[in-house]
Amino acid sequence: MALVMVVDDDQDLAEMLGIVLTSSGFDVDLVSRGDEVLEIFRNNPPDLVLLDVMLPGIDGIEVCRLIRQESMVPIVMLSAKGETQDIVRGLEAGADDYMQKPFRDKAELIARIRTRLRRTNADVTGLLNIGDLVIDVTAHEVQRGATLIQLTRLEFDLLVALAKDPGRVFTRDALLSEVWGYRHSTDTRLVNVHVQRLRSKIEHDPEHPEIVMTVRGVGYKAGGPA
Amino acid sequence: MRSFRQALTQSLAVKVILSTVLLSFGVISLTGSALNSRLADGIRSVSLDSALTEARFTFFNAQYQLILSQGGTVSSRKQIIAELVVSSSNQNVNEDGRDIIILKFPSENIANTSYEMSSAPIDPTSVPTALREKVRESRELQYQYAQSRYENRASADALFVGEPLKIPGGGMYEMYVVFTLNNQTETLTLIRNSLVLTGFALIFLIALITYLVVRQVVRPVREAARIAIQFTEGQFSQRMKIESKDEMASLAHSYNEMAQSIEQQISRLENLSRVQQRFVSDVSHELRTPLTTLRMASEVIYNQRSSFDPLVARSSELLAAQIDRFERLLEDLLEVSRFDAEVAVLEPVEFDALTLVRRCVADFELGEVPTDSGIRIQSDLSSVTIKADIRRVERIMRNLISNALDHADGKEVVVSIVATDTEVAIGVRDFGPGLDEPALIRVFDRFWRADPSRARIRGGTGLGLSIALEDARLHNGELDAWGRPGKGAHFVLTLPRVAGETIQGRPIKVAPKDFHEEYFFL
Repeated sequence: MALVMVVDDDQDLAEMLGIVLTSSGFDVDLVSRGDEVLEIFRNNPPDLVLLDVMLPGIDGIEVCRLIRQESMVPIVMLSAKGETQDIVRGLEAGADDYMQKPFRDKAELIARIRTRLRRTNADVTGLLNIGDLVIDVTAHEVQRGATLIQLTRLEFDLLVALAKDPGRVFTRDALLSEVWGYRHSTDTRLVNVHVQRLRSKIEHDPEHPEIVMTVRGVGYKAGGPA
Repeated sequence: MRSFRQALTQSLAVKVILSTVLLSFGVISLTGSALNSRLADGIRSVSLDSALTEARFTFFNAQYQLILSQGGTVSSRKQIIAELVVSSSNQNVNEDGRDIIILKFPSENIANTSYEMSSAPIDPTSVPTALREKVRESRELQYQYAQSRYENRASADALFVGEPLKIPGGGMYEMYVVFTLNNQTETLTLIRNSLVLTGFALIFLIALITYLVVRQVVRPVREAARIAIQFTEGQFSQRMKIESKDEMASLAHSYNEMAQSIEQQISRLENLSRVQQRFVSDVSHELRTPLTTLRMASEVIYNQRSSFDPLVARSSELLAAQIDRFERLLEDLLEVSRFDAEVAVLEPVEFDALTLVRRCVADFELGEVPTDSGIRIQSDLSSVTIKADIRRVERIMRNLISNALDHADGKEVVVSIVATDTEVAIGVRDFGPGLDEPALIRVFDRFWRADPSRARIRGGTGLGLSIALEDARLHNGELDAWGRPGKGAHFVLTLPRVAGETIQGRPIKVAPKDFHEEYFFL
């Protein structure tokens, strides 16, 4: 059973989330303060973190940054504010996905969590070569020469999605459905922010990407093996 | 001509300068011509006096010489007269010329020897007949101004002075001294020219002075106008400079006080509305967290409803539905508060408007709330690419179609699309109970309902049309409404093909084609 850590200062909402998640077959750890997250996280590492933006102690965006420094665990931000700024800040701090309160329905929440927990590229196995990178899909590792590059699960999925079909152009919507599991969405901020983050980790010069390239007006594609 | 008229009516400076020039022109020409005629009269009378004195002396001398020669021969008399003519005339070019003419009385016997003589080159016939008659009748000194003619066909202004001359043994003659007035005429011309020149110089100077003075007055007025315009454009911190203590300064002072007071009022109101908008936005956000809990709780209960008794089961359904409605209301309220705070942002992308409309219509046809009314799409186009905020355009369409379905009374709803090079128009027509004039005015008002007693079929929030209008205007587009009682309603969205550009017209008229006005305004 996967362990989901729910961080929300609203006790009732946290409890309700707990009920919903438990009934869907997850183990749940409830945390109500931002400054308590890290300790609990270390003692009992969860498989996924549901993180509210506004928290007492340390705010959600800072918590997200702290978790990212020591773990590649999937993080889904919860926000009561639908403002673009908050969402982008959360994504830049390392969140994989975000959900705006109130959620459309319980099923949506569960679907998002499941997408983040499962391997999205289950059909791909073995080694992929792209640029000067070697991607070991089975071992979930990316190497440049002898150096191991740390990627979050989502970044890894995004890279594999592009790399398994080098040269093919993916629209942002296609990536949203493939990597994030969205069916109808026009929110391309998710893709943009994650591509930036991925580039900053794998490109020699993120300003002039050679691995994940932008196709102006369409989307992204992966360059071929070096 | 037009620009001159414009300058005349629009520029205070031009107006003042022009009227000053015209007035001073009148005054200067009046005084100038008076001065000119006074001077001319003076000069003429002085020279007339001296000419008459001279002539009198000449006549006296001639008569005296002739009397002295009494008894002489014809040739000696001729000799004396010839000498008289030569000595009395003056052909010096530098002075006024003086000619002598001696003419016989026409009454004298023609047969007698003629002593008629004149100094060359004057033409003796240039003596005016009227003067000759006067001379003969009065037998005294007479004068007249006339033109003197010369043998070389030249002529000049001249003063003719005449007196009868009795030639002893020769009969009655008229003697004329002709003074040419060249010098006098020259002097008069000089005076006139100087006066005219001085007059024009004066007018020019007056115009210049007026211009300088007017500029002094107009400059601060223009400055004030400029500042007032900037103020109107929203630069509320603009103030007039106070550089003196005159009327301009007091105008500037009062203006600045007014500006100050307006600025304070505006900032107070801005502050007030900012606080209020902030409050609405905060309230909406604060409501979201409990609403999320409520929603999930109601879902858990709703999913278990089959195990409840019917009343509790129905209650759980109502609870879920109302939470839905509450959420929609909250979203709309948030959107309205964004518009009010002017923080609504347009995120334009290129898309096909026709596809969007088809998708919206399809969604309604598959919708949870069953509709008896069919929706028909009417368009000759295969696609219309526009650059707009797809989320907002979709929301406008949903609001319009949902509103039309609510009021269609089961009749058909027609969605039409027309595009031009610069704009795209989407009309949504229903044939329900329609709207009357007062309703049309209020149809975009928040929370306004056409008929409060009507059931809220689709559970709209009452903010839909108002948000649709704001969405349209955010694109620089327009949303028009038409309605007649019993004839249905027609809402037309007109958007520029590229969001933000101006719309040139209305490809779809808001008064629908299928409707003909039955009453004419008398």
